Amino acid sequence: MEKNSNLNLILVLTTIGIVSALLLTFVFEWTSPYIAANEAEKRRNAINEVLPGLERVEEVEIDGEIFYEAYDNQGMQIGVAAQHSGAGYNGMIDVMVGVDLDSQEVINISIVGHEETPGLGARITENEYKSNYQNKPFGDYTGVGTPTSDPMEVQTIAGATISSEAVIRIVENAVEKINTVYGGR
Amino acid sequence: MAVKFKELFSVFRNGIWKENPIMVLVIGMCPTLAVTNSAENGLAMGLATAFVLISSEIVISTIKNFIPANVRIPSFILIIATFVTFTDYFVKAFFPTIAASLSIFIPLIVVNCLILGRQEAFASKNPVHKSIADAVGMSIGFTWVLTLLGIIREFFGMGSVFGLQILGEWYNPMVIMLLPGGAFLTLGLMVGIYNHINREVE
Repeated sequence: MEKNSNLNLILVLTTIGIVSALLLTFVFEWTSPYIAANEAEKRRNAINEVLPGLERVEEVEIDGEIFYEAYDNQGMQIGVAAQHSGAGYNGMIDVMVGVDLDSQEVINISIVGHEETPGLGARITENEYKSNYQNKPFGDYTGVGTPTSDPMEVQTIAGATISSEAVIRIVENAVEKINTVYGGR
Repeated sequence: MAVKFKELFSVFRNGIWKENPIMVLVIGMCPTLAVTNSAENGLAMGLATAFVLISSEIVISTIKNFIPANVRIPSFILIIATFVTFTDYFVKAFFPTIAASLSIFIPLIVVNCLILGRQEAFASKNPVHKSIADAVGMSIGFTWVLTLLGIIREFFGMGSVFGLQILGEWYNPMVIMLLPGGAFLTLGLMVGIYNHINREVE
């Protein structure tokens, strides 16, 4: 058979394609449990961080959204967490938000994933910024560049206003999402 | 045998300095400029690219006689994409923190022109043992430049190297070094120094 005949071209490319596909199937089968475990662990760590002192977590799906209800060792509900995403400076930011439904306050937040600039926007993952949200009442927040004087204010990171504001919006939306589902109960 | 070894060694040495993929050939600029904001990221990107480059050069130089010239580029890309996808899954499964910081740049290795360029220029014309020497040399050349770039940018941008804080509280970080502009500045200066050293040696 001639090397550059159409039939040979098709045969060679198809063979390479099939071998590649077969190999990748095995790789996928091998790695996907590890990848799923990593994701689950990341989520579990985030829930533990935003709802400290929890003993048991229940995953519930309401209106197509997933909520995590946390209970302490006496079976009392500590709070509810939900993950919410929004656009940041470079890409999507995923934030886990934990709230206390009795006092209508945010307990803590955790940044699950982000692609912000290292050294600037990436500082949203630092405690200095996240502590802004501890014990925040539900509602709308304003970002300010100076130390906060009002409970509804959040101190933004110098040089990373867009990332800071993005997280504020995501937290607001997450709180609203939890509140619409659990608020009436 | 001695001559052959010498020849192999010169092929290997080529990529490290004389024909360094970044400094001289100036290929593979996308990961070079984008992910080198820390030493760890630079090194990880270099190693991921090295794995793909070495394995695809081995495969392509082995089967080069079966690939018709008319479909050689799609064949190369298919083989490269297979190794890249493997790397992507592997890093995600076993090094989740590195996967998070390199994110989209691992799948993008497939369009790194360093890899396709070496297949076209070297692996498709040379026997396996020479291709391995070329791939290893090019990989080391690529990795050391990326790592050094990462070290310089991290040192000035955060005062640390490989996550280890070196400069104290008094140091006011030059944030520009972590932004894309810092990559251009650092790479430009590095290429300048590189050319100066070469001229001095001559």
